[in-house]
Amino acid sequence: MPAKNKGGVSKAKETEAKQQVSAQQPQTVRELEWQRYWSTNPLHEIVEKQGLAKLSPTDKRAYLNLELARSPGQIDKLSKKGQRELWKQLSEANIPLRSAPRPRDDQWGHDNAGRDIGDYTPEEYAAYEQKKSRLSELRLDSAFFKRDRERAYWKTKNEVTGEVYTITEDDIRAEKARRQEMASLYRGLGNKIHSSYENDPEWDDVVPIPQEEPEGALSAIAYEEDYAEAMAYLRAVMAAKEYSLRCLQLTETIIDMNPAHYTVWLYRFDIIKALKIPIRDELEWLNDVSFQHLKNYQIWHHRQQLIDLLHLTPGENKFNKRELARDEHNFIMQMLSKDTKNYHVWSYRQYLVRKLDLWTSDDEISCIDLMLSQDVRNNSAWSHRFFIIFSNPDLTTFGALATDPDSIINESIIDREIKYAQKMIEIAPQNQSPWNYLRGVLVKAGLPLGHVRDFAESFCSPLVKLDEQEEVRSSHALDFLVDIYNDADEKEKSIYLLRRLSEKWDPIRKGYWTYRQRMLQPQQS
Amino acid sequence: MLYTVSAVQILALVDALDELEKRSTGKLKVAQFMASLQDREKGTFAGDEWGEEDTRFLYGALNALSLLGMLHLVDVEKAVNHVAACANFDGGYGVNPGDESHSGQIFTCVAALTIAKRQDLIDQDRLAGWLSERQVPNGGLNGRPEKKEDVCYSWWVLSSLSMIGRTHWIDQEKLIQFILQCQDTEQGGISDRPGNMVDVWHTLFGLTGLSLLGYPGLDEIDPVYCLPKSTVERVLGKLREPSAV
Repeated sequence: MPAKNKGGVSKAKETEAKQQVSAQQPQTVRELEWQRYWSTNPLHEIVEKQGLAKLSPTDKRAYLNLELARSPGQIDKLSKKGQRELWKQLSEANIPLRSAPRPRDDQWGHDNAGRDIGDYTPEEYAAYEQKKSRLSELRLDSAFFKRDRERAYWKTKNEVTGEVYTITEDDIRAEKARRQEMASLYRGLGNKIHSSYENDPEWDDVVPIPQEEPEGALSAIAYEEDYAEAMAYLRAVMAAKEYSLRCLQLTETIIDMNPAHYTVWLYRFDIIKALKIPIRDELEWLNDVSFQHLKNYQIWHHRQQLIDLLHLTPGENKFNKRELARDEHNFIMQMLSKDTKNYHVWSYRQYLVRKLDLWTSDDEISCIDLMLSQDVRNNSAWSHRFFIIFSNPDLTTFGALATDPDSIINESIIDREIKYAQKMIEIAPQNQSPWNYLRGVLVKAGLPLGHVRDFAESFCSPLVKLDEQEEVRSSHALDFLVDIYNDADEKEKSIYLLRRLSEKWDPIRKGYWTYRQRMLQPQQS
Repeated sequence: MLYTVSAVQILALVDALDELEKRSTGKLKVAQFMASLQDREKGTFAGDEWGEEDTRFLYGALNALSLLGMLHLVDVEKAVNHVAACANFDGGYGVNPGDESHSGQIFTCVAALTIAKRQDLIDQDRLAGWLSERQVPNGGLNGRPEKKEDVCYSWWVLSSLSMIGRTHWIDQEKLIQFILQCQDTEQGGISDRPGNMVDVWHTLFGLTGLSLLGYPGLDEIDPVYCLPKSTVERVLGKLREPSAV
């Protein structure tokens, strides 16, 4: 027996060693559970993984003894002596008698994101369990809150104290915090739906209207759940024509997620009107949104509507035009500092000049001077300059198009603008914007292009057949000269210039120059 | 408005405009909705009941209404006058009267005037001169002076040039090269600029641009409607038949 005993012990040690090899750090909850099970069944592990034949005779006996001992009612069938012998042998075999429960494949289940919880790491699992218990704790508290609120609503009395149940601001605040925590736990547990409104007591009276997609819709819109939920509440309050602060808040949430959704802007404007929200406050809020969404269309329309509204109700809003103009100017300049050519900003600026009568405001003309001195190629600034000067209703004919001559414009303005354009052309002769501007001014003044013949000629060497040595500082000057010579019946010069433009000075537009050449020589085409 | 226009265009594309009568509220109702968005005094169109106005909406309305054969529901003359007032000193057109010239807006204005058969109001040489200035040395086109080139302007600029018959004023070969350089040759698709991520928007305008340039293997595109020429001819041809149905 002693020898056998020894053998048994040594085998057990061997098994232990084997187990340590397989007992590397478990990566998942499933591995952990199996490890725990095998650690209580070392012989079974060998039998199941390698077969009964791999056991030594001693271990085989220990294994069979264990099976017998674990089978209910079997031991009682043995004699007293037999029972004693069995326990003795088992004790000598030095193996665990009790088995941990054998893991089942489906015992962990799946979380709401579809992931098998058995695949969680032990740390993940611990956190998961903790969240679950915290969530049920919070749910209980929340249920009590709802019960008490119900009681408060019906003015029920506390049977013990006789006091009427009430719900305080603090209770609501606590419930809000609770629901926020619940929502985040709920999401943390693999739930996709973040039900922030569903869990907000302030919204309990609203039944959300979710988007119904027609079955088999060609392209189902994959809304983010948060967005879909907020939209469901928006539909509900819009259908009920509710204009309240919480709705204003809701529009802000949605705009934050999707500023291009124009219905929500429309609704927001209606709320502003209904609640008489101070328009300056709204403008200030809008400034922030604008900085975040530089290329959004809706922001600018909303802004125009606000200004229109302010304009219509001067008394109520203590409308101060100068102050407003100054604030708006600051805002515009801040926006332009991010992108000096933002089309929306310039378009809004033109609207504002018309609306607030800023034609001769120093903020306009001197600001444009400054911007052009910083970047002489800013076509948006050139365009705005033309607008404030040649659309000013006090100095021009009403309704005249930008392309029409206008005889009532003061000569001094025309002179000033011609000189200004020329000065800027000198800085960068190959810049098309001031050349276009110069042409536009001459058309307004009803002057022929020949008016600036000397100026245009100063950008190239005398032309007659110099070919190779010709010096040209601006192809736009040549373009001017083509027309100037043509008007002056010096067609040959024009044709020569057009040829040189297409050959050398602006070959990418060869088609254009050739076309114009053909127009001057109809007989040859 | 924009969704309605898209819907009409898609129905035209799959030859299903008649389905509007069979399965829906009918062409007239769709057209009346768009007509209701016109400001009868100014001639402009709003994008929705909210009232934002822009030549984009005006063009969209004329586009869809003409495909439905319902232009008579709106005041075309007033709309035309508004577009004419958007013309600028440099020959281009802006979003509103006085706004800077912009290639995209030029497309909407020129296409609207073309649908209204009022191209006579356009200073075509001046406009095309400005449009052809949009080509930069690498062959691409930009939307405004001193801005970056972008494949989508192949469409806005080129379609406008095409409507007034002057696509040859720019270097077409160079533009073809530029568009092809914007291709993702492994995954497919076309981007805004060489080396950038591709998307559907720029792929469409790259392809339609190549079509206008006569690139081999592509269907002919209609510069006014941005639909295949065959589609536009089929739809407008049906309308011209003296109510044969």
